[in-house]
Amino acid sequence: MWPYLFALPFILSYAAFQLYPVLYSFYLSLSDWNGIGEKTFVGLRNYVDLLTKDPLFYKSLWNTLIMMAMFIPITLILGLLLAYWTFQLTRGRKFFQTVNVLPYITTPVAIGFIFSYLFDWQTGLINLIFVKLGLMQEGFYWLQDPWTSRAVIALMVVWRNLGYFMVIFMAGMTAVPQDVYEAAKVDGSTGFHTFRHITMPLLRNISVFLIVTSVINGLQLFDEPKLLYGGWSGSVQVGGPDNTALTVIWKFVDESFISNTRFGYASAIAYTLFVLIVFFSIISYRLSAQKEDKR
Amino acid sequence: MKKLMWVCLILISILSLFPFYMMIVMSTYFNEDLFKGIPLLPSDYLFENLKTVFKSDFLRVYGNSLVVSITSVALALFTSTLIGYAIAKFKFRGRNFLQIFVILTMMVPTQVGLIGYIIEMRHIGVGNTLWPIIFVWMAFPFGAFFMIQFMRDAVPNDLLECARIDGCSEPGILLRIVLPIIKPGLATMATMVFLWSWNNYLLPLVTINKSDWFTLPLFISNLGMVHRTDYAARMAALAMTTVPVLILFILGSRTFMKGLTAGAVKG
Repeated sequence: MWPYLFALPFILSYAAFQLYPVLYSFYLSLSDWNGIGEKTFVGLRNYVDLLTKDPLFYKSLWNTLIMMAMFIPITLILGLLLAYWTFQLTRGRKFFQTVNVLPYITTPVAIGFIFSYLFDWQTGLINLIFVKLGLMQEGFYWLQDPWTSRAVIALMVVWRNLGYFMVIFMAGMTAVPQDVYEAAKVDGSTGFHTFRHITMPLLRNISVFLIVTSVINGLQLFDEPKLLYGGWSGSVQVGGPDNTALTVIWKFVDESFISNTRFGYASAIAYTLFVLIVFFSIISYRLSAQKEDKR
Repeated sequence: MKKLMWVCLILISILSLFPFYMMIVMSTYFNEDLFKGIPLLPSDYLFENLKTVFKSDFLRVYGNSLVVSITSVALALFTSTLIGYAIAKFKFRGRNFLQIFVILTMMVPTQVGLIGYIIEMRHIGVGNTLWPIIFVWMAFPFGAFFMIQFMRDAVPNDLLECARIDGCSEPGILLRIVLPIIKPGLATMATMVFLWSWNNYLLPLVTINKSDWFTLPLFISNLGMVHRTDYAARMAALAMTTVPVLILFILGSRTFMKGLTAGAVKG
C-alpha cells in the first residue's frame, strides 16, 4: 500500500498540471478559438493552414535551424577543447570550471540586455572599440542585418552553454579509468594522439547526449532572440529585422499571447514543433550514434 | 603548446566574465555619462542608481521571486522524493510501468501544453497570480528521475529492513532514516530547481500581466518602459538579481556541478 501512496502526489500533480494541459492543447489544436468566444471544431484545418498557407512558419523553422547549425558545432568543439585543456591542469581546475559555468546560471534577461548593449549600433561597446581601433569607419548595424543578427543570437547561446558543455565533458573524462591513459603513455602515445584515439572515442556517449539535448533545446529557442530584441532599446520588435530572428517558439508565443490570441492555431504550432522535436532528436541520435558503429 | 593552452584558457575565461564585469561597471555610472566614452572603469554613481532601483517595486518583486523559487523547490522535492523512494526501494505491482512513465514524462517538452495549462489556470481562478509558475514544478519529471537514481545508489536496503524489523512505521523510516542519507541529493536538486525557477522567463511572461505579481526577469525586462530609460539603473537592478545567485553558486559549486552532470554521465 505504501509505495502507491508515495507515488501518488507526483502522479496526481503530473496529471493535473502537465498531462491534462497537453491533452487539452491537442483538443484546442483541432478547433478555432480566440479564448473568449465559441470554440468551433475544425478538424485538421489548423495544421493544413500552418503547413500550406503560412510562409512565416517555415521561415521561423529555417531561422531556428540556421542558428542551431551555428551554435551546436561551435559549443561542442570549443567545449571539448576547454574540457581537455582544463582536465590536464594540475592547478586551477576548479577555478576555470567555476568561472566558465557562471554564464550558464545567469538569467537570460541579463544576457539579452548585455548583448543588446554590446552590439548596439550607436552606443554599443563593440562598435566603439572597432571604430576606435580603426577597423571600421563607422558603426555597423549588427542587430539589423539578417546574418549578423542570427550570429549574435548564436553567440549568446554559445556564451551561455560553453561552460555547461565543458563541465559535462570533464565529468566524462573523469569517468575514464586512469590506467587507460597510463597504458597509452607506456605505449608511447602522447598529447594530441591520446586525445584523438583514446579520449574522444570514450566520450562518444556523452557527445551523443549533448548533441541530442542541444537539438531538443535548440528547437525551443526563445529567450535569447526575444530578449535581444525586447531589452536594451525598449522597442518591441517581433522577430527581429524582417523576421530573421523569429524562432518557432517565438512565433508560437506571439500568435497565442502577444500579438494574437489564436489559441487553436498556436496549439497546432506547438504540436507540429513537438513532432519536429521527436523527428530531429531521432535523426541526431542516429547520426551521432552511428559513428560509433563504424569504429 | 602548454603556453598556448594557458593563453586560450585565460582568454576564454575573460570572455566568460567580461559581460558580468560590464554589468557591474555600468551600474556605477550616471546614466547620461554612459555614452560619452567607453565605460571600462568603475565610476561613483552606484549609490544613486541603487536608490533609483529601490524607489521602484524592486523589493516587492524580489520577494515574489523568492516566494516562487522557495515554494517551487519545496514542492518539487516533496513529490520527487516520495515517488523516487517508492520506485527505488519497494517491490510492487506496476513498478516497472511507473518507472517507464517517469522516463516518458521527461520527453514531453512543457511548451506543448502551454496554452492548455494557462487556460486551465484561468478556469480554476489563479490565472494572473504566482500560482501558475509554482505549480509547474509540482511534477518535475527530471527531479523524479534523479531521485530514483540517487536513492538506488545511496540508500542501503539492509538498513530499511532493520528498521522495519524494529517496528518503525513506513513514514517514520522515510523521515528518520532515508532523509538524512539523501541530504546531498536533496541539496543538488534544490539548487537546480531554485535556479531554473529563478531564471524562468517564458512562463511568467505569458501568465502574469499584473505588475504586482512580476518576478525579477519580467520586472527587469519591463523596467525601461515605465521610467525614463535609465540604463544604468537597469544594470544595477540586473546586478542585484544575478550577483547573489552567482555567489550562492560559487559557495555551493560542488553540489551544483553534481546536479549539472547528473543526467549526462549515466545516460
